[in-house]
Amino acid sequence: MKVGPLNIPIKEDFSLKSILDFEKTPLNIFLAVSVLTMLAMFAIGVITYLIHGHHAYGVTREHPWGLLIAVYIFFVVSSTGFCIVGSLGDVFGFKRFEMISKRAIFGSIVTIMAGFAVIAFEIGHPVRMMIYNVLTPGLTSAIWWMGTLYGLYLTFMIVEFYFLLNDDMKRAKIFGLTGLLVGLAAHSNLGGVFGFLNARTISNGVYYPTYFILTAFITGIYLSFIVMGFRYKLNFDDKVKDLLEGLAKIQGLLIAILFFFMTWKLLTDMYGGMPNRADVAHHMLHTAPFWAEVIFAMLIPFLVILKDFGKSPKLMFFASLIGMVGIFFMRYNLVHDTQVKPLQMMKLTEYQLPPEWVEYFPSATEIMISLGGLGLCILLYYVGTKAFNLDATH
Amino acid sequence: MARYGMALDYKNCINCKACEVACKEENGVELGAEKHRIWVGGNNPEGQWPFLDIASAAFMPSQCQHCEDAPCQEVCPTNATYYDENHVVRVDSDKCILCSYCMNACPYDARYVDDRTMTVDKCTFCSDTRLARGETTTACQNTCPTKVRTFGDLDDPNSEISELLRTREHFSLKSHLGTNPKLFYLT
Ligand code: SF4
Ligand code: SF4
Repeated sequence: MKVGPLNIPIKEDFSLKSILDFEKTPLNIFLAVSVLTMLAMFAIGVITYLIHGHHAYGVTREHPWGLLIAVYIFFVVSSTGFCIVGSLGDVFGFKRFEMISKRAIFGSIVTIMAGFAVIAFEIGHPVRMMIYNVLTPGLTSAIWWMGTLYGLYLTFMIVEFYFLLNDDMKRAKIFGLTGLLVGLAAHSNLGGVFGFLNARTISNGVYYPTYFILTAFITGIYLSFIVMGFRYKLNFDDKVKDLLEGLAKIQGLLIAILFFFMTWKLLTDMYGGMPNRADVAHHMLHTAPFWAEVIFAMLIPFLVILKDFGKSPKLMFFASLIGMVGIFFMRYNLVHDTQVKPLQMMKLTEYQLPPEWVEYFPSATEIMISLGGLGLCILLYYVGTKAFNLDATH
Repeated sequence: MARYGMALDYKNCINCKACEVACKEENGVELGAEKHRIWVGGNNPEGQWPFLDIASAAFMPSQCQHCEDAPCQEVCPTNATYYDENHVVRVDSDKCILCSYCMNACPYDARYVDDRTMTVDKCTFCSDTRLARGETTTACQNTCPTKVRTFGDLDDPNSEISELLRTREHFSLKSHLGTNPKLFYLT
């Protein structure tokens, strides 16, 4: 360990060379090429956006939020999830989970940064946002609270990570707890962004703010399996197995709760008789992304856990990869289904019936920027593993 | 200081769309079908021939309702959307960050993106144009051949709109959402 600027312990051999120096297995090379491709896509996407503005996106007046909002949510949910998993050990003192704390907290930092990188190209004027968020804050706006709290949260996470690196567990705990609380507040406000919309009955209400916290925890556990899987190349020792078994058991419980939540949400949506809610719920049930969400994010991992109560960490690693695909659809569906019902202002295109459902499909630019966010996230994480010791040291 | 609203005698609307054109012209609204501050809505007649329900086939001009409790204002993170001194809901394009939250929150589909400023735009009751010049009517009202629209101060008991609302039955759109619209449809 050498001590970098500001007393940050950095790995002895950290340099550009150490970053480029990885085992040249086919999988590693494939990953490296994929990340570079995604970063190139990010650059192309951003340039296209800077030239054409929102015309480069598939968003419309009727469907103003598109893929980038979904991907932003995907990343910040991942961040909150990592933060919750990281807190199990170093905030709440569950010894079994301590060995993942540092890695998870670092994960929470890189995922939220990727989220910010993506949202910066969805919001029309990100710099103006930072100025007027302070000068004329809209305190009744869930977006204001969400943005401001997430900014604070990132600061706390960075400070916590700093103390973790320095093995200052007492201070790490204080900042960890504060960061966790701010993060949970920020995250439920993100759910509130949808929950406050009384124009969109399908999303209106308390469901999303609470559900966001639950699904964040679930996402955090999937991601923990993924990062631990890569860290140990799927050769887990007993300590890691014990940690992962614990996480898998929690995951089983959480997914069961999610099944319960979703079932009741759908039942009340479909049979509660609220105008514009029941028909949207029925419509949802007939779309492929909804079933992708249920099967990938919930069903497959749940069955894997039930198989032997979480004792197959390797299988869980693959189930978690599938789970994250499902989590992506979960975010996409949330954004799309909120807007899918036309507002029925009797607008007619001459000689045409009003559309029954609002159509949206992401443009190539949106897809490139989204994949770029993923590339950025993986790159930052990889550089982190080269620069810092993310394993538990005590 | 006024509290502006508009009454629409919508059954007189003949769907000539002169108001849509006048609004674009007066306020320099961008061209393109998606970029509209106001529109004439229509209901296709219900029922099957020959039992068509002719009464259901009314035209319904609409626009921003200038809600007294405007969801678009509540959700705006930078207070770019605000109530001006005449209770008109306006957007300050210097503060708008184009987060599009208001477009999602407005129950009336009244907002769109102005690509020239990359901010959200909507009906202003001609505040920047005709009212600023001291006129007392909006462009859409002024041009309407069948006098569907009556614009005026709801706080002034002697205004034409106050008189209309006192003497004619009226309703407002999606009033169950608690937005308290200031657009009134006369029946
Ligand atoms: S109609 Fe829509 S844009 Fe107009 S004030 Fe109401 S919520 Fe805002
Ligand atoms: S798009 Fe502009 S006016 Fe609308 S909520 Fe965002 S900042 Fe406010």
